[in-house]
Amino acid sequence: MNDILLRLEGVSRHFGGLKAVDDVSFSLARGEILGLIGPNGAGKTTCFNLISGVYAPTKGDIVLEGISTAGFPPYRMAAMGVGRTFQVVKPFSTLSVLNNVQVALGLTRYGSVLSSLGPWDTKASRNEALEILEEVGIAHLAGTPSGQLPLGNQRRLELARALALKPKLLLLDETFSGLRHEEAAMLSKLVLGVRAGGISVLLIEHNMKVAMGLSDRLVVLDHGRLLAEGKPEAIRSDPRVVEAYLGKGASSHAS
Amino acid sequence: MQLFFEQLLNGVAMGAIYSLITLGLALVYGVMRILHVAHAAVYTAGAYVGLYVFSITGSLLPAVPAAMAACALLGTAIERLVYTPLLKYPPFVPLIGSIAVFLGLEEIFRLVGGPYILSFPAEFPFPGITVRGVVISPAIISIYAVSAAVLLLLWFIVTKTELGLAMRATSQDREIAGAMGINSSYTISMTFVLGSAVAAVAGILVGIYFNQVYPTMGAVPAYKCLALIVVGGLGSLPGAVLASLLLGVGETLLIGYANIPLPRDSLAFIAMIAVLLWRPQGLLGNR
Amino acid sequence: MNDYSITILTFIAIQAIVACGLNVIVGYAGQISLGHAAFFGIGAYSSALLTTKAGLTFWTALPLVILLTGAIGLVLGMPSLRLREDFLAVTTIGINFIVESVFLYVPFFGGALGLGGIPSITLLGTRLRGPNFLYLCLAFLAVVLFLSRRFTRSWGGLACFALREEETAASSMGVSPIRFKLLAFVIGTAMAGLGGALYAHLMRFISATDFGFTLSVSMMSMVVLGGIGTLWGPVLGALILGVLPEVFRPLIDYRMLLNAAILLLMIRFQPAGLLGEGSLLRRLFRPGRDSAHE
Repeated sequence: MNDILLRLEGVSRHFGGLKAVDDVSFSLARGEILGLIGPNGAGKTTCFNLISGVYAPTKGDIVLEGISTAGFPPYRMAAMGVGRTFQVVKPFSTLSVLNNVQVALGLTRYGSVLSSLGPWDTKASRNEALEILEEVGIAHLAGTPSGQLPLGNQRRLELARALALKPKLLLLDETFSGLRHEEAAMLSKLVLGVRAGGISVLLIEHNMKVAMGLSDRLVVLDHGRLLAEGKPEAIRSDPRVVEAYLGKGASSHAS
Repeated sequence: MQLFFEQLLNGVAMGAIYSLITLGLALVYGVMRILHVAHAAVYTAGAYVGLYVFSITGSLLPAVPAAMAACALLGTAIERLVYTPLLKYPPFVPLIGSIAVFLGLEEIFRLVGGPYILSFPAEFPFPGITVRGVVISPAIISIYAVSAAVLLLLWFIVTKTELGLAMRATSQDREIAGAMGINSSYTISMTFVLGSAVAAVAGILVGIYFNQVYPTMGAVPAYKCLALIVVGGLGSLPGAVLASLLLGVGETLLIGYANIPLPRDSLAFIAMIAVLLWRPQGLLGNR
Repeated sequence: MNDYSITILTFIAIQAIVACGLNVIVGYAGQISLGHAAFFGIGAYSSALLTTKAGLTFWTALPLVILLTGAIGLVLGMPSLRLREDFLAVTTIGINFIVESVFLYVPFFGGALGLGGIPSITLLGTRLRGPNFLYLCLAFLAVVLFLSRRFTRSWGGLACFALREEETAASSMGVSPIRFKLLAFVIGTAMAGLGGALYAHLMRFISATDFGFTLSVSMMSMVVLGGIGTLWGPVLGALILGVLPEVFRPLIDYRMLLNAAILLLMIRFQPAGLLGEGSLLRRLFRPGRDSAHE
């Protein structure tokens, strides 16, 4: 039985002449929290988009639980157990916070037209959604139109929606960027709780403190290529990594 | 054979006129991502204003600039009053606004200018020529000359001037263009000025060529030229010109000459669907 | 109530049915369709042909008409709905023009002369005319409204709302964009087909020019005016746009201009429509905040 949940094998993604991701390989073990870091433009979000199905790899393969998923569209990846948040939050603005989570709860229903004919706003689905909102701490905002939330709560909503998919793999795209210290700390605890619940996590983070603190291991990208990988202590002192960041004058602001 | 060449030249002339209208659409789409259906009403306004000034002064010399100025004003007014305030909404909102403006203007032309077909008895300022037995009328020569001049001028503005650079930058990415100091509001208004002035010229050319000015003369170009910018590749200026020329020739040869039993006005849409199936980004588009 | 008023109301009821269909496409799924009149026409022509040339009754033809219109919607929707918004808008305009041309030029559809001699509808032995026909249309309208509401309560409807708001996010939650856009499109075109069948048997004579692009614009106006994405919006829009020309009858020459002006004012200042979020009417009658779906 395989301990490896996700594996990227020689994955490249080209946009015309630009090699956003160039021959990247790494793997994520079940139950692991893997941090994907690197200076701006390193290809981290492109990697996420490749894994979650927004892009298909130009070369190489992406293997999830032994199944090759290269080229699968996002809705198929969701069905396969991949949940993600977006760096630029994408709430269903005119729907309430609760409704947003309920959309994700419909994952098993969206597979066929027939099964999508049943009613969605049932007591059961509302309760289930409320529970998830409780977990992330915004249950008191259930009725608020999601477009009106401040950033911190929008981030939590993104997380709640991803969790509602009951994923095996959770992709967190700069979920901590722009958050205040206390908010980031609370969200960190949440992520650890998620992992304790059996979900593997792959996160992109610019906030070094968070990335080093949360991740079991780190993968460093630079200019689309794999620069280094290993435990946080090793990466922290790796001269190539330091040069990649400092040498580029990389800011710690999320782009 | 002679007839074929004459028809071919007619087709190119039609294509040239289409391109004058379609370019305005492509320019607007480029900087605003709006399908400017009302552009055809600006084109019609050009014909009416041109005819009016011509009928008072008896000469085309004041008529053309007057029409261009009037249309530039009209186009910019539409942009300021309807499109720009609606940018924050999903795209079909300004599109419906555009359609409403178009229908309203058609009605105004009818109420002010009368529902009848007016004649535009101006003479084309260029002489006709005959080349190896093929007669090329003054009309065709004039259309070629005027279109070529206008296209050249536009090409120069778009590729060699700062305004043109601003237009191209804004059409690529408005935010970044703004961050680089480009005043997008000015750029957009100037785009409308240019596109509308060119449409005015097209309106006058058509008015004289067919000797007809009437309120609904924009109805067919309104939607046909939409199909043309899609075929050319939304936002691509050379694409708009290419698609227009191809359609002009296609319509004249296939339907006028070869008598293929397709309704002339739906050829544009059929071509559009065919092109989209083969090349979803249009002939010269790149997204 | 005189015959003329009843005919107008019947016409309005039919337009409301078709507008409800458009609302499913534009309002619920957020897809633009400027060719809806084409499907209205397909419904009308298929019912007309089935009842005249194939000798079916209105009732036996109806399920076929609805299925056929929906099927054509499926076939035309499959390539079109994959396109970006702007392309989709122009493509639906193109569909309208092409379908109209087919009706106009292909002799099977009667060409420029159209199709006549369409039988009236018989129910339980009686020919439906005047008020009875109106009641029939209202009954169908009720069915359509019921189905629309049912749709908004289904997972499919929720999926469409999500797609409308944020397609990428919806997709990453398991919603296949093409599948659900198509679902909404097929439902919408099927409803238009129903309206078309009723229209054909009301007028007893149809021709291609009844189903041109101008009608598509009117239908869009009804949905916009009433409130995109609301349940009753299309009905209200159909009512207003059906009654307005009668009210403005004395101003007959300025009618079209006023229609255009109303549409422009509406879209410029209240794009959400009379019943939409934040509209004047809503704020007057329902001062509390309510959640986004009907």
